[in-house]
Amino acid sequence: MKLRMISVAGAAILALASTGLQAETKLTIAMVNNGDMIRMQRLSEAFEKANPEIKLDWVVLEENVLRQRVTTDIATKGGQFDVLSIGTYEAPIWAKRGWLVTLDGLPADYDVEDILPPIRQGLSFKGKMYAVPFYGESSFTMYRTDLFKKAGLDMPEKPTWDFIKDAARKLTDKSNEVYGICLRGKPGWGENMAFLTAMANSYGARWFDMNWKPQFDGEAWKATITDYVELMNEVGPPDASAKGYKENLALFRAGKCAIWIDATAAGQFVTNADSDVANSVGFALAPDKGLGKSANWLWAWALAIPESSHNKDAAKKFVAWATSKHYLELVATKDGWPNVPPGTRRSLYENRAYLDAAPFARTTLASILAADPNHPTVEPVPYTGIQFVAIPEFQSIGTAVGNRFAAALSGTIPIDEALGNAQWVTGKVIERARFLQGHSAL
Amino acid sequence: MTNKAFDPGQSIADMDDEQLPIPPHKLHGWGRFAGLYAAEHVAATEFVIGATFVALGAGIWDILIGLLIGNTLAILSFWLITAPIAVDTRLSLYTYLNRIAGDSMSRLYNVANVLIFGVISAAMITVSATAVRALFDIPPQVHPYPTSVLFVIVAIAVAVIVVLVAVFGFNAVTEFASICAPWLMVMFIVGGMVLLPALSEFITGYTTLTSFSDFVQIAGATVWTGLNAEGKPGIGMLEVAGFAWAANTFSHFGLIDMALLRYAKKKSYGLATSTGMMFGHYVAWISAGLMGAATAAMTKSSIMVVDPGEVAFYALGASGFVIVVVAGWTTANANLYRAGLAAQAVFPDVPRTKVTLLVGLAVVVASAFPFIYQSMLPLLTYAGLILVPVGGIVFAEHHIFPRIGFTRYWARFKGLQYSVPAIGTWAVSLVFGFGLGALNIIPFYYLFLPTWFVSIAAYIVLAKKYGAAESYPEGEQAERVFQERVAEFHAQQAATESHEPVNDASILSKVIKAIYIIIGLAVPFVLAWRVLFHSPDIYVYYVNLERFYDVSIWCTVIYFVFAYWDLKRSKALQRAAVRGASEPAV
Repeated sequence: MKLRMISVAGAAILALASTGLQAETKLTIAMVNNGDMIRMQRLSEAFEKANPEIKLDWVVLEENVLRQRVTTDIATKGGQFDVLSIGTYEAPIWAKRGWLVTLDGLPADYDVEDILPPIRQGLSFKGKMYAVPFYGESSFTMYRTDLFKKAGLDMPEKPTWDFIKDAARKLTDKSNEVYGICLRGKPGWGENMAFLTAMANSYGARWFDMNWKPQFDGEAWKATITDYVELMNEVGPPDASAKGYKENLALFRAGKCAIWIDATAAGQFVTNADSDVANSVGFALAPDKGLGKSANWLWAWALAIPESSHNKDAAKKFVAWATSKHYLELVATKDGWPNVPPGTRRSLYENRAYLDAAPFARTTLASILAADPNHPTVEPVPYTGIQFVAIPEFQSIGTAVGNRFAAALSGTIPIDEALGNAQWVTGKVIERARFLQGHSAL
Repeated sequence: MTNKAFDPGQSIADMDDEQLPIPPHKLHGWGRFAGLYAAEHVAATEFVIGATFVALGAGIWDILIGLLIGNTLAILSFWLITAPIAVDTRLSLYTYLNRIAGDSMSRLYNVANVLIFGVISAAMITVSATAVRALFDIPPQVHPYPTSVLFVIVAIAVAVIVVLVAVFGFNAVTEFASICAPWLMVMFIVGGMVLLPALSEFITGYTTLTSFSDFVQIAGATVWTGLNAEGKPGIGMLEVAGFAWAANTFSHFGLIDMALLRYAKKKSYGLATSTGMMFGHYVAWISAGLMGAATAAMTKSSIMVVDPGEVAFYALGASGFVIVVVAGWTTANANLYRAGLAAQAVFPDVPRTKVTLLVGLAVVVASAFPFIYQSMLPLLTYAGLILVPVGGIVFAEHHIFPRIGFTRYWARFKGLQYSVPAIGTWAVSLVFGFGLGALNIIPFYYLFLPTWFVSIAAYIVLAKKYGAAESYPEGEQAERVFQERVAEFHAQQAATESHEPVNDASILSKVIKAIYIIIGLAVPFVLAWRVLFHSPDIYVYYVNLERFYDVSIWCTVIYFVFAYWDLKRSKALQRAAVRGASEPAV
């Protein structure tokens, strides 16, 4: 009897000890500081409640900083992060380098087939997904319906650049701090160069010809940058070269931009209750120049797991939760349908409640489906990607060229000099890249 | 390095200066040694050794901490082993060894020196030749033997110049080498600085490093990866520390640097070697590794293949060509000169020029074989192993014999022609050291440590057997008298010789100095600083880098012109002061 009691007590102690000692897995998540991601951080309490053995540790960073931190960590196998916010640019390149974990074997109710094909394709390498989309986006035109009405203007469903330029000039009222147009000016390959590359595509420009010769010395790029700089200097907000997505979003919500061409993901933020202009925002496709290509891009912020993570299983559980249909429903329940992360799942655009609540939804879907990363330009190119060139060197040259164009926008250097600089540096980097790859095509 | 037999009875004034202790009025302060060691240990060898650590697969922390440990041990060795004997005796090792062990041992020792300094000289000539190779687009020499006739011709041409200069114009090269040190230091630092953003961009797409941890991450992923050239786990911290410690064993445990430290006012000046160890063997090795790895990565080759010429040219542009030629040439010359002196000591009847030419001939042939410079680190380690027993013998005779009742200089007092204990100890120690190496019981860079202890023990045992424990009152008395006569002689010298350095306060000299310090050293450093810390993207990086290349070569030219002018003026002033002091007062 005594022995049995000792055994029972011992077993109880062991059980208690094992419960207490059960290893808590800490997931470190590197996350970009945009609205959708911040919301996810807030709602992740639900995940932790359902998975008490997993503790989430968030590293929230501004986009440019995040990219550098995350790239350095993954390239050097630093192992600081278990989950990364990456995009459609990084996913296939990093997957090719063996830096990411394949995200197959997700739960059946995850429904991979529901993810919009262009987004799924953008996050895959050799047919396997290496990141799952948190939200997807293209770009479109957001405009103030009240100001258009007042000026007697009608926004076409598919506006041209000529119309946009003309309307922006007419709508400008600097005395009341209303600027005709707000466009990205802050340097960065994911900031001003995302916009400018998409705009240049619609002007018939391209980064490289089929022989990988840079094309900044062509007329199409000159026309693009000239129009951009002139328009922004004339009717854009002050200090435009310091304004990126977040700054322009704030301006538009405060009623200071008549037209804003930017990410479709902004739709929910300009129409929600916090926006001063929530009830007077219209949406149209991104402009074109009549050459067959619009200035819309394709992007997805996605969650990926680095090979260097020591908590791959827990990380997989988290990324599946954060990009699932259930998460969309959770957001709808907590914050309403318009705030659901857009652009990833076909089922969302078949949801009547969402379509009714989100006035930007149809234009968002149309923009995403119209984006073709495999044929991004008017003339043929040897690369894929719309607002980026899907080669490892783009991160570097995109940032450098973005800085030169920002300098042209701020008037620090003339446009011709900026284009000359862009041509020179791109040529140098590509020459080096081709040398390193045995003089073959990249 | 004379091999003349020591006779305490001969006239002091007739004796070679080298046979006498350094007089008190010719001793130098701390700063002199700090400068001397900083200059001595930033040479062409650093390019090779820095790259070797990368090729051997050291990890980033192995390098950062291992080098710190190894170099600290080297400093302690200089401080606690070399400096005390040097300051006590005020003699060079050659002279002291001759007094302890006589002619035969000195001659053997000099044979070893001919071999070692000849090999170092050949290696440095090959390093210089790699710069010329890069300039003329001759294929890299990746095999132990030469694979290009053109490279052989280049190596021989460079070697012939080095030999002729060592024979006929060594003093001019020595003067020139003395002004190279500050420039070499700056060039080693800036070479690593300007390539770091490129290395970062190559890996991450960003040219900026936001913190030291970024540096550690990038350098750890690209330079000191922990994997060797075959992709297998490389050497660790213990090995790195061992290499760093062993790289200079012939100088500290081997006591060769008694030649320098005999001028030190205090034993603690042994710590001044820290400038050479912590700059040359820490910063310069790290910088050289960084340059080598960056060059290998960006030229799509292996660290095993890129040679110093290619690395320096890639990192520093035209100045890189100058650095390798100058650093290689000056190091080669100094070592060939030493080898020549050692050879002359072996064959005292043959003129120095002739014997140096003969050694030079062997060096010319050896310099065509890249194997020698490619194996620099192990060669230095084994060279140390060969010479360390001699250091052990001297250590025992100097420190241990008086403590255990043995007589210092006993072999001389006894009139031994051949010091069997010394020669025997050296032989036994070499058999022990290399035998231990062959058995592979401990890593070869630590072999010097047990070998040193064995040499001490063997020498004590053998010396006792041959009469070291006996008393030699006559000899000891003669030695005391000799020391008193030397002290008197030095006192007379001090009274008559002008030994106060002349302070050149002329405006022209100050302007010359300002020009070569600011334009020759500060400007390249500032430009490199801009490349490293003010290149937010690849465009600005390339612009800054090209500016650095374009300007730094002119800074180099200006540096050498003005530094040499300053040197000439300073020497002329000193000569004038000596002439003035020797003229009788009217």
